[in-house]
Amino acid sequence: MAKITVNPITRISGFLEIEVTVENNRIIDAKSSGMLFRGFEKMLKGRPPLDAVYFTERICGICSTAHSLAATLALEYALDIEPNENARMIRDFVHGCEFLQNHIRHFYQYTLPDYIKGPNIHPLINNYSVDLRLPPDRNDKLVQHYLESTKYSRLAHEMLAELAGKAPHNHGIFIGGVTVKMDADKWIKVRSILDSILSFVKDVMLEDVYTIARYYPDYFLNGSGYGNLLSYGLYNTYKDREAFYVNPGIFKNGTISSFDENMITENIKYAWYEADQIENKPTDEVEIEADRYKEKAYSWVKAPRYNDVPFEVGPLARMWISGIYNNGISTMDRTIARVLEVIKIAEIMQELLKRVELKPSGQRKYSVPDQAEGKGLIDTTRGGLGHWIDIKNQKINHYEIITPTSWNLSPRDTKLQRGPVEEALFCAEIKDIENPVEIGRIVRSFDPCVSCATH
Amino acid sequence: MNSCPIAISKDFIAKNLIKLSLQNTHKINLIWLELAGCSGNIISLLNADNPDINYFLTNMISLKYNNSLMAAEGEKAYRQFLETLDTEFILVIEGAVSTKAQGLYDVVAKYNGQYVTGMEAAKLAGERAKHILAVGTCAAYGGISAAAPNPSESVSVSAFLKRDIINVPGCPVHPDWIIGTIAHLLVFGVPELDQKNRPVIFYSINIHDACPRRSFFDQRVFAEKLGEPFCMFKLGCRGPVTNTDCPIRRWNDTDNWPIGDNTPCIGCAREGFPDLMEPFIRY
Repeated sequence: MAKITVNPITRISGFLEIEVTVENNRIIDAKSSGMLFRGFEKMLKGRPPLDAVYFTERICGICSTAHSLAATLALEYALDIEPNENARMIRDFVHGCEFLQNHIRHFYQYTLPDYIKGPNIHPLINNYSVDLRLPPDRNDKLVQHYLESTKYSRLAHEMLAELAGKAPHNHGIFIGGVTVKMDADKWIKVRSILDSILSFVKDVMLEDVYTIARYYPDYFLNGSGYGNLLSYGLYNTYKDREAFYVNPGIFKNGTISSFDENMITENIKYAWYEADQIENKPTDEVEIEADRYKEKAYSWVKAPRYNDVPFEVGPLARMWISGIYNNGISTMDRTIARVLEVIKIAEIMQELLKRVELKPSGQRKYSVPDQAEGKGLIDTTRGGLGHWIDIKNQKINHYEIITPTSWNLSPRDTKLQRGPVEEALFCAEIKDIENPVEIGRIVRSFDPCVSCATH
Repeated sequence: MNSCPIAISKDFIAKNLIKLSLQNTHKINLIWLELAGCSGNIISLLNADNPDINYFLTNMISLKYNNSLMAAEGEKAYRQFLETLDTEFILVIEGAVSTKAQGLYDVVAKYNGQYVTGMEAAKLAGERAKHILAVGTCAAYGGISAAAPNPSESVSVSAFLKRDIINVPGCPVHPDWIIGTIAHLLVFGVPELDQKNRPVIFYSINIHDACPRRSFFDQRVFAEKLGEPFCMFKLGCRGPVTNTDCPIRRWNDTDNWPIGDNTPCIGCAREGFPDLMEPFIRY
């Protein structure tokens, strides 16, 4: 029996430790630990509610747009504001830019170095690489694409900035829709960039992911985990089929059923926090205090559960629930689903652009009520993201954030159920315990963002 | 060199300086250490263009350690960090130094069975680096990681390491600011710094003074809500108290930036952000 610790799991956002116990080359126990805590929920207390949009996006440098959108939705709910259709389409387009940027970077910069021998450039030189299977000519081609891809992920952020001011940490997503006035100059610029990104993804990235899949077929057989999938829905407010993606839903025991947000809880039994209740609903105003020395706890990530059960979220969950991709649930399926999703989202963005009109933003002057409650639940790059806000005396009284990676990287709960990544590692084969490459490959297929998960 | 900061355009910094740095055949090592923050500054670096990230890594520096990009993982990754300490290197830190619970709110690695905290890594590399750059507002001033009540007891890099540091604030840092500063170090040595240890070439311009909407301010034409093309002073714009070249440089290779997007500057590059800059939107 051997214990293996990988810390840091690099090529993710934030700090993650994975500890596994291996017996006869099988993982018999796994723990995932988020290693960074800043305390955003505490910081938000007492702040002006409208500031939550620009404040919470700074939880995460890689998916800040997601937080600006969830915060905006929560505030729109609380203030009873409905953005006009045009502004919402522009906002959804801006959110789409983040998907393209994140997914392209994740596949090339974060995932590929697990499977190919990188270019001879620091920090991609890895003298310890093992189990790299691509023949030299194919490997060289993917190295070339690794370098080329940075242009397209950058361009995705360029579109985002064209409409929302800057990236990361945009300004243009705000209560009531957006702040930009769409004009023909902006429209044609983002249109042309989008077309070039879509060409790259269809002509290059798609083939690349299937090349990896062909040489690593055993990765269709590991990292499956529970197979419980969850989505809060994405691009599901439009009537047109062309601009529709996925409704909220859950997949469990082979069936898809409807999603009820009241079933969401967070459990802190094995996380470094103390509170009066171990299990809380996001709307419960429970004071949760950090305690890094809490016995038996091992992560800054709390354990979200749906009806007491752990669920996986992310591109595969969305592609599966929408019925677009049902090949399987595994390390490689997650990676393929993410690439296929880039195409799905880019095509929806094209449809949105076709419908966008050149109109002023429709912003109004908003007043914050004395008391109100709001919630914003939406699927983002890594899965379902929820923000819940409680306003009292025109200030934030309580703010709760549950991020996609909290779902995926959660530690055990009171019932000792492992989190989805822990479960995905469980039983996986480790061929060479001196070089346990399987761990990183399985974990990265979830695209962890620990900055988000712990916040 | 012309001392007028506006005359030193981004073309000069981003291209000419880099061309000069090419003449140096020896590439200096660089450690990019992510600490308590959102890791958004390395993401911003990846948005660089002319030079882009590939050029930066191939022709300017040798990036020996970075959590987001490096191929190696676990102890093997951290060993690359340790090995670089014995060489000549530039240290870039993003994120604040989290000091609560002996640094355990931010663990960056485990080595020989022991946690390596962000504090420890910053100290180890900070004592030996040839130059230190604190990039992003969390590293430069504490930033949002140190926002009240500062649950992680985060502090700026300069408050933690008692030595000369170049501050390159911004939330996130603009890729040109970081690459331009490093280019200056490589070719001309330490750039001229202001009282807050920021490179004058990027931070001497007051946003309000160089704002394209300044004439609206002078004529008292104020926006009453976001989305309007006028001066946003009355909505709480922090341009008057914030110094960066955003008004001329803009973001992500577009002509856009927060004010261009009809929203106020929130002073994200200023000391005291976010606590002293709120409310961001004043209605």
